[in-house]
Amino acid sequence: MSIFTDYKKEIMDAAHNDRIRIALSRAIKSYRANTNNALRKFPHTIKMAEEVKEIKEKAIGEMEKLAQQACEAMEGNKGKTYIAKTAKEALNIITNLVGKGKLIVKGKSMTGEEIDLREHLEEHGNQVYETDLGEFIIQKLKSRPMHILSPAIHVPKEDVAQLFSRITGQELPPDIDILVATARKLIREKYFQADIGMSGANVVAADTGTLFLIENEGNVRLSTSAPPIHIALVGMEKLVPTLADAYRVAEVTWRYANYTVPSYVSLVSGPSKTGDIEKVTTYGSHGPRELHVIFMDAGRTSLAKHPILRQALYCLRCGGCLYECPVYAVTAGYFGDKYFTGIGAVWAMNSGNVEKAASLAYTCLTCGRCKVRCPMEIDTPEMIVELRRLIAEGA
Amino acid sequence: MNKKTSGLIPPGLVYIAGNIISKHNILGDSKGSGAKWAKDLNLPKEAETIFFAGCGYQYISGLESLSSLIRGMDKSVIGAELPMSIAGFQKKLGIDFAGIYRKVSARSKDSDAPPLRDAVKVLSNLGVEFGYLADDEPCCGGLLHYIGLQKEFVRNAQEMYKKLKSLGVKRIIGIVPSCTYTLRNLIPSCVEGYDLEVKHFLEVVLESIGSRELRFPREVKVTYHDSCQLARYLGLIEEPRQILKAIKGIELIETDWTKGEWATCCGGGGGFEAVFPELSQILAVNRTKELVETGAQIIVTNCPRCIMQLKDGLKELRTGGVEVVDLAQIVAMAM
Repeated sequence: MSIFTDYKKEIMDAAHNDRIRIALSRAIKSYRANTNNALRKFPHTIKMAEEVKEIKEKAIGEMEKLAQQACEAMEGNKGKTYIAKTAKEALNIITNLVGKGKLIVKGKSMTGEEIDLREHLEEHGNQVYETDLGEFIIQKLKSRPMHILSPAIHVPKEDVAQLFSRITGQELPPDIDILVATARKLIREKYFQADIGMSGANVVAADTGTLFLIENEGNVRLSTSAPPIHIALVGMEKLVPTLADAYRVAEVTWRYANYTVPSYVSLVSGPSKTGDIEKVTTYGSHGPRELHVIFMDAGRTSLAKHPILRQALYCLRCGGCLYECPVYAVTAGYFGDKYFTGIGAVWAMNSGNVEKAASLAYTCLTCGRCKVRCPMEIDTPEMIVELRRLIAEGA
Repeated sequence: MNKKTSGLIPPGLVYIAGNIISKHNILGDSKGSGAKWAKDLNLPKEAETIFFAGCGYQYISGLESLSSLIRGMDKSVIGAELPMSIAGFQKKLGIDFAGIYRKVSARSKDSDAPPLRDAVKVLSNLGVEFGYLADDEPCCGGLLHYIGLQKEFVRNAQEMYKKLKSLGVKRIIGIVPSCTYTLRNLIPSCVEGYDLEVKHFLEVVLESIGSRELRFPREVKVTYHDSCQLARYLGLIEEPRQILKAIKGIELIETDWTKGEWATCCGGGGGFEAVFPELSQILAVNRTKELVETGAQIIVTNCPRCIMQLKDGLKELRTGGVEVVDLAQIVAMAM
């Protein structure tokens, strides 16, 4: 019971932390208002979500085929592709590509979190800059993300001011404008000094081999276009058959992530190239000369075979469910592992962490409000009861 | 349950599961002790349609005492895990400390169970014919399913079905949402040939009420709390509101967002309160706050666990002058 006991202590400390509760009650309020507004403005989203659900249900059953197809398309575009069966394999591929002593700028990626990518790169003597503001704060605080889209959701501005003052050696006020400008200054030059830029992907079109990257800050654009090499780590569940499918997945994702439209959506299908001199195709024009894409399985294809738990793979990572979870509202990501709340238990199980999975599974109220929010109607209570069964039966 | 496989199930849940399996009620009380509330009501024991009272209300004061005991322990340095494991172990030896504590502290209110008595009154008043199995009423075992003990759940369901059939039961009127969902949706998928017709009390009321006039004894502002099981599992969202709106003297004021399918869970149920007693109370307080902010004098709901949680929430918030009652009680008062 020791993992459970430690976990329970951690989650109860969080539940007694007023700052977490205040930060989250504000976030929940504005998430609901923004999402209602976005859905009112673009009412077709609801129907589109149903179509996306069908796309995902089908795609999850043929991830291997789609990965193969995406690899062929990307290789055709002069990208390099890899299929990693396990997390370890993915880390090895990346280590071989990166080497040692490199400067890396990185966009936020849950798949990266899943396999502790940053820590791994740092252990291998590389310097890694998280460029997403929230993730940058988390990295500097040596904390861990508490939300899939807003990792620093539990950190109030006063704490950020203190942190940035320590980094810059200047006394900074808890003024959000000043803090954002400070982060911009701290990270800006790194994009152009970096040897490698890294990202994940929100969705991938298999037919054209196109990565969709959704963001608001512009850090993903810079990370994936300024350095000479771009490496993308993608969970295989992100694959859909066509560019048109991918577009729909992307729109539903950002809408349920409370945006009418995000500031940036980047579509990356290959390395930068030009044919402007004598029509000779030359790589590495203004953007990266190399694009490497790793499709990671890490239990996904076997999860897809489970009739109930496969639903976890439909997740678009919009983060909407988190705002509806009554436990998350007082504990933030402490009710979680690499992924959070009830669905996080399935991912913990998938990565082989049974005790953690059990702790999370028995923290879920099975109240079902997450399912009401979810554009994919993922039945988390059903998955939780199934997980508990597997745990109880020692499966 | 074999010891090896249940190692990861939190002790609070192992304790409840043990009660269901050995005593056929979630509290682990002696057989039939839950039936006291109906002693003087003369309900027939043999009937094609039965009123299914469920553990939640029949043992409510015992459950309340036990909850407050483990909440106290959970907040202390002791924590709830060790005492719950010990309680489970002692029970095997025949010593039931939790039971002794409950008996000492329970305020002999078990026999009242107002929601049950009022539900019976309402049904009789509407001319519905039904019986009550009293000490023969089995536990639906729903919690076994939610705990993950599916084999035990299926075994319980099969035994239960056999028993109900042997007693000649054809139709069930449930009052506890979770039991109703278990009987209506969970059991049919694991018992062959299951042919019991299961309805929730509210559905029966709506069918039978016709144009009868309902008037509450005084003018009152009420708010409604959807339980997870009634709203999101059974899908009964409009029905309770229809009933409330039909009662003269009642003004229904709702939370602006957290209602119907978006209602916030009270933090109880599914055994959560036995695993995270203190956290469960924090969630109860949060939900109670949302409901109290409507300015209502009465919080109406439909689930014994929600009632316990919200009452506890009111106590923690030191909110006087607000009551929590089951919708059955409101209807009874309005007849």
